[in-house]
Amino acid sequence: MNGKAMNAVELNKLTVKFGDFAAVKDLTLSVEKGEIFGFLGANGAGKTTAIRVMCGLLLPTSGDVRIAGLDFSRGKNAIKRKVGYMSQKFTLYDDLTVLENLNFKASMRKIPDETAKQRFEQIFDFIGFNSGQNTMVRELASGVKQQVSLAATLVHNPEILFLDEPTSGVSPAMRAKFWLLIRKLAAEGKTVFVTTHYMDEAEECDRIALMRAGKLIALRSPQQLKDETYPSGMPLSGKKPTLEDVFIKLVEGDER
Amino acid sequence: MKLSRMLAMAKKEVMHILRDPFTIIMSIGFPIILVIYFGFAIDFDFRGVKLAVYDSDNTRQSRELANVFFSSGYFKLEKGMYPEKMTKEIELEKDFGTIIIPPGFGRKIASRKESAVQILVDGTDNQKTSIVGRYIGSMQKAVASRFSDAAPQSPVDIRVRYLYNPELNTQWFIVPGLIVVVIGLLGIFMTALTVSKEWENGSMELLLSTPVKPLEIILGKIIPYVAISLAGSSLVYLIARLVFGVPFVGSHFLLICAVLIYIVASLAQGILISVTLRQQNKATQAALILGILPSLLLSGLIFPIESMPMFFRGVASILPARWFMIIIRGLFLKGSTFTELSLPFSMLVLLSLIPIIIASKKFKRDLEQ
Repeated sequence: MNGKAMNAVELNKLTVKFGDFAAVKDLTLSVEKGEIFGFLGANGAGKTTAIRVMCGLLLPTSGDVRIAGLDFSRGKNAIKRKVGYMSQKFTLYDDLTVLENLNFKASMRKIPDETAKQRFEQIFDFIGFNSGQNTMVRELASGVKQQVSLAATLVHNPEILFLDEPTSGVSPAMRAKFWLLIRKLAAEGKTVFVTTHYMDEAEECDRIALMRAGKLIALRSPQQLKDETYPSGMPLSGKKPTLEDVFIKLVEGDER
Repeated sequence: MKLSRMLAMAKKEVMHILRDPFTIIMSIGFPIILVIYFGFAIDFDFRGVKLAVYDSDNTRQSRELANVFFSSGYFKLEKGMYPEKMTKEIELEKDFGTIIIPPGFGRKIASRKESAVQILVDGTDNQKTSIVGRYIGSMQKAVASRFSDAAPQSPVDIRVRYLYNPELNTQWFIVPGLIVVVIGLLGIFMTALTVSKEWENGSMELLLSTPVKPLEIILGKIIPYVAISLAGSSLVYLIARLVFGVPFVGSHFLLICAVLIYIVASLAQGILISVTLRQQNKATQAALILGILPSLLLSGLIFPIESMPMFFRGVASILPARWFMIIIRGLFLKGSTFTELSLPFSMLVLLSLIPIIIASKKFKRDLEQ
């Protein structure tokens, strides 16, 4: 298997139902290795559900899922070893220190102590973390907390990262720093699958998938999206459209 | 199942506990406070119950009758009673009852006629009333022997001897039973919070994104609380033995086995609540209703199960607390053997297995959703 032939993520008609309600309907997409892939949509569009399937947390109702070449036939744990998931909610323990949190995460993944120690050094170095490893997590600023969350996601050196709104509630300077890290991760060959509500962040993605009510409504690069949605500029002002204009038109069905 | 992951889980739980002073205070303070409350405050032995005497006879005999009561040690005399004050005093709880000696009492006694004396008693607190009523009943014999020259004329002399607790010491009865409440609270209450806490603050997502298995999570979370509950019950045991001088005549091995099974049963109930409710405040309330109330009210700690209506006897019999209570009392005071306790032991095991099975099945299904 070489990198060219194998996509990091391949979904074919993925459907996830909760009772009668289909949170994700016939979602088909593929993400290349090393790509920064933006996953956009209003709240409740099915983004998190799709991500939870791709992280091995949820079994699909139907459709094919291949993550790093693995499907669910070998169980969810095979997938869990390949991917790193940073959930929308802050999931570290407030009453443990940064290092204790990472150690715990490493022990859940059965990473030997020595390996984990080296790995933490690399990660801290990589994310430029200098807030003190023995600080209680509850004492960290929210931007720093997100950094630590990312560090915890990287503990087992996953091939694919799923970041669910990693920058919500973070200051603009911290967001910029966080995206620097995302680009660095992609440059290292990791695939980054990211959801966001910030359009400036969406601009940073190689490609964007737009979701509405569980369905994929567009899948293009940011530039293509703008060009194709408004081929002759904005209808009223004639200005160049922004991604925000595209998002409002496609996802919310409104023009302005 | 990987041992290392389970232990890492347990270690993390210990860190949470150590950093939360509330948990530590609770696990040491609660058993002590409970034993102080129940051990010192609850006493079913009443001494010096205040009785007034309305003596409208005022003879040697009537005064002697009153004396029989007040020399027994159970009653204390409140003097000077008039008919109009009689019920008022009882109402104000100045005294618990009044002995009414009718006029002509002394004359009847002297002429060996049948005489009657009435005692009015406050019936508000029927727990106290029934015990005081028994004391008053026991006065009959003393009064009879006082006023007849010969020994009391009774064809059969019934003598009661209380086995296991000869002085009917309330503390002997209550304090060992508090182990049931302590484990019920520490076990059910604390574990009820642990899993719901993970759901509530989102860290369950973190756990689930790793290859950890449901059983590893549950067992890892249970282990520290087994230790806490064990420490709490040992504390009660020591206080019972050293402070209250409760005898222990049974087998310590059986006691430890029973305590461990009951701890597991309680923790399993706590986990079941936690897994089902997922929110700490709901889990707390459920733990109070399902954990504390039954172990106080339906375990036989204070209120005898046998005198409860059919429905509550049924409810009590599906509670591990009730069976554990039988074992505890049997071991402390009676020195019961395993054979004698085989029914409560089997019920205890059975009732612990049910919540464990339901909890791990439910948890597993939730995670796989």
